[in-house]
Amino acid sequence: MARTPQRSALRDLREIASDLRQSRDLLTQLTLRDIRVRYKQAAFGFAWALVIPVTIVLAGLAVRAAISYASGHPLETRQLARMAVKSIPWAFYVGCIGAGTASLVGSITLVTKIYFPREVLPIAACLAQSFDSAIGVIAVALLLPFLHVHASMQLLWVPLLAALLWIFAAATALFLSCANLFFRDVKYMVQVFLSFGIFFTPVLVDAPMFGPRFAPIIMLNPVAPLLEGLRLAVVDNHNLLTPVVSQPGAWVSWHPWYLAYSATWAILGLILAALFFHRSERRFALYV
Amino acid sequence: MSDARIVFDQVWMKFHRGETHDSLRDLIPALVRKALRRGPSATDLGEDDFWALHDLSFDVAPGQVLGIIGSNGSGKSTTLRILTKILEPTRGRCEISGRVGALIEVSAGFHGDLTGRENVFLQGAIMGLRSKEIARKFDEIVAFAGIESFIDTQVKRYSSGMNARLGFSIAAHMDPDVLIIDEVLAVGDYVFQERAFGRISDLATSGIPVVVVSHQLDRIAQLCTHAILLERGVPVFRGAPEDVIAAYVQPRVDAAGSTSSSEPPRGAGHVSFRSVRIASGDAVRSGEWCEVRIDGSVNSPLPATVDPVVVRVRSLTSGRVVFLSGVRQLGTDVPAAGSFSACIELQANLVAGNYLVEVIAVDTLAHREIAQSPAVMLRVSDPGTFRGTAQLNARIRFDDPVQARAS
Repeated sequence: MARTPQRSALRDLREIASDLRQSRDLLTQLTLRDIRVRYKQAAFGFAWALVIPVTIVLAGLAVRAAISYASGHPLETRQLARMAVKSIPWAFYVGCIGAGTASLVGSITLVTKIYFPREVLPIAACLAQSFDSAIGVIAVALLLPFLHVHASMQLLWVPLLAALLWIFAAATALFLSCANLFFRDVKYMVQVFLSFGIFFTPVLVDAPMFGPRFAPIIMLNPVAPLLEGLRLAVVDNHNLLTPVVSQPGAWVSWHPWYLAYSATWAILGLILAALFFHRSERRFALYV
Repeated sequence: MSDARIVFDQVWMKFHRGETHDSLRDLIPALVRKALRRGPSATDLGEDDFWALHDLSFDVAPGQVLGIIGSNGSGKSTTLRILTKILEPTRGRCEISGRVGALIEVSAGFHGDLTGRENVFLQGAIMGLRSKEIARKFDEIVAFAGIESFIDTQVKRYSSGMNARLGFSIAAHMDPDVLIIDEVLAVGDYVFQERAFGRISDLATSGIPVVVVSHQLDRIAQLCTHAILLERGVPVFRGAPEDVIAAYVQPRVDAAGSTSSSEPPRGAGHVSFRSVRIASGDAVRSGEWCEVRIDGSVNSPLPATVDPVVVRVRSLTSGRVVFLSGVRQLGTDVPAAGSFSACIELQANLVAGNYLVEVIAVDTLAHREIAQSPAVMLRVSDPGTFRGTAQLNARIRFDDPVQARAS
C-alpha cells in the first residue's frame, strides 16, 4: 500500500507534536534537571550564566581595539553595545548546540532502558540554555542605557528574531544529537565549529565591516541575519522592513529578504530535523 | 476494566554481532570497501547477524499474567525491550493498547546531584506520570520506600538499596493499563521484598494484562496464569506456570515432543503416565502427610533396570531436588504390564515454600529418564514454628522435677 511521502511526513509531524504535548511534564522535569544540575554546587550561582557572554564581549573588545588602531577610527560605545547585544544570542546558539549534541549520548541508560519520545532530550537542553540566556538578556537590558542606547518601537522585532533563533537552534540540536548518536565523532566537528564559528558570524564585527565582497558570503550564514537584525533593531533603532544601503548602488547591508531567508532556514530546518530524528528514533537502541 | 491487550504477533528480531561503525572515520573507508568488494547481495542474515527472537507470538488479555522464563541470552530482555517500544521488531508486530507501566530499570533516570524529592518528580515524569499525579501520591511513594528522613538529601549519598527502593516505589505507584515487570523483585531487604511483592500482586490481579520476566521461579509460580519458556530466542514451551518451570529446570526427555500439558499419555517406551494430582489438596502444613495419585501404564515387561514410578520433589526457590525415590529403591513390588493407578504418600518435612512434584520413570543403568508426568505444585506452609532447611517435627518435653531428683 503506497503512501505519498507528503502525507506520511505530515502524519509524522502530527505524531511528533502530540508526543511532545503529552510529554509536557517530562520536558519540564528534564529542563529543571539540567538547570538545577548546572547551578547546584556552583560557587557563583546564576552569575555563571554571564561568563560566556562577558568573555565574548571582552574578546570582541580585543579584536575591535586592534581593528580601530589599524583603521585609525576610535572605538565607540555604540560598537560595544552592538557586541553586547549580539553576544547573548550567539552564546545561546552555541550553548544549545553543545548541550544538544551530547543530550542523547549523555543519557544512554535512559535511551536504552525506558521509553519516552526522545525529542524531549535535545529540546530540554535548549530550554535549559534559554534559562541561562534569559539571565544574559536581563543583564544586557540593564547595561544598555549606560551605553547611551535608547528603547524604541523597533524592540518589538526582538521576540520574532528570538523565536526564529530558538527554532533554528532546536533544529540544529535535534539533527546533531541524532547524528552524534550514530557517529560519535560528530561531537569533535561540533567542537571545532563552536570554537571557530564566531569568526564566520557577525558577532564581534558587523556584517558591513566585512566589505562589499565578503559581506554577502557572511550573510549566507542563517544565523547572521538574525544577529544583524537584533543589532539593527535594538541598538540602531532601525525598522527592519526598510533596507539599509550605505550609498546608492553599493551592497545592500540589510533587506527584509535576509530575514525571510533566515526564517526559511529555521522553519524548514526544524521540520526536516524533526522528521529525521523521529524516523531514526527506532534505531537508537540498536546503535547506541 | 479496560480492554487493553498485549499482542505479540510472529515477532522476529535480528541483531548484529561485532562492531558497528560508530564514527564517520570508520564508516567512510568501510563504505568504500563495500563498494569495491561487490560481494553477494543482502540475504536475510548477513555475516555477523543472528536472530535474537524466532517467531514469537503471544496474546495477553486483561486479567492474565504471562511469565517469560529462560536462561541468560534466551531473548527475554529483547522481548521486554520490544514490548516497551525501545526496539522495533525486524518482522512481525507488537501492539499494546493503553498506558504502559514498566517496572524495569526503575532508578535509571535518577541524577545524583538532585535530591530524592526532585528525583521522584523526574523519574515519575520519565515513566509517564503527570506531575499532578506525582504530587498527589508523593507521601505514599516516600512512605512505601521507607526513606522519609532522607528525601531531601542528594541521591548520590543514597545507598544502592535506597536508590532501588525509591525507584521501585515510584514505579509501583503508577496506574497503568498494562504492566511489564523485569527482575525488580529482587531489591531491598526481606521486609521490603514482601511489601514489594504484595504490591506487584495487587497490580497483577487488578485485571490488567501483565508480562513478568524473572529468574525467581517461585514468584513466577505465584503470580502467573500462564508462562512461556524461551531458549535462544525460540519459544520452546508454553502452558501452565508449573509445567513451564519444570521444563525449564530440567531438560525435557519426552520423545513425543509434546508441548502441551493437557495431552494424554506422555513418555515413550516401557512406561507412560496419564495424569498426576495431589489428592490431599495442593496445600499442606509442614510436617504433615500428603497424597499424590499417579495414573499410568506399563507398556511392556519391565527389565530390572527400569524403575517405573519415581517421585521427585523440587524446591522452586532454589531449583534443587529435595527428594527423589522410587519403587525399586523403596522395595515395593512393581506393577505388571497394563494400566496402573498408584498412591504416593509423602510426609512434607519441608520448609515453607513452593515445590514441584513429578513422577518419572528412570532407566537406572543408563541414568536416563524415560518418561515424565506433568508437574504439580505443592504449597507447603508453616505458621512459623521452625526455621532452617528441614522439618524435624520437634517435640520438647520437660522432665518432672521430683523424678529427676530421685533418679
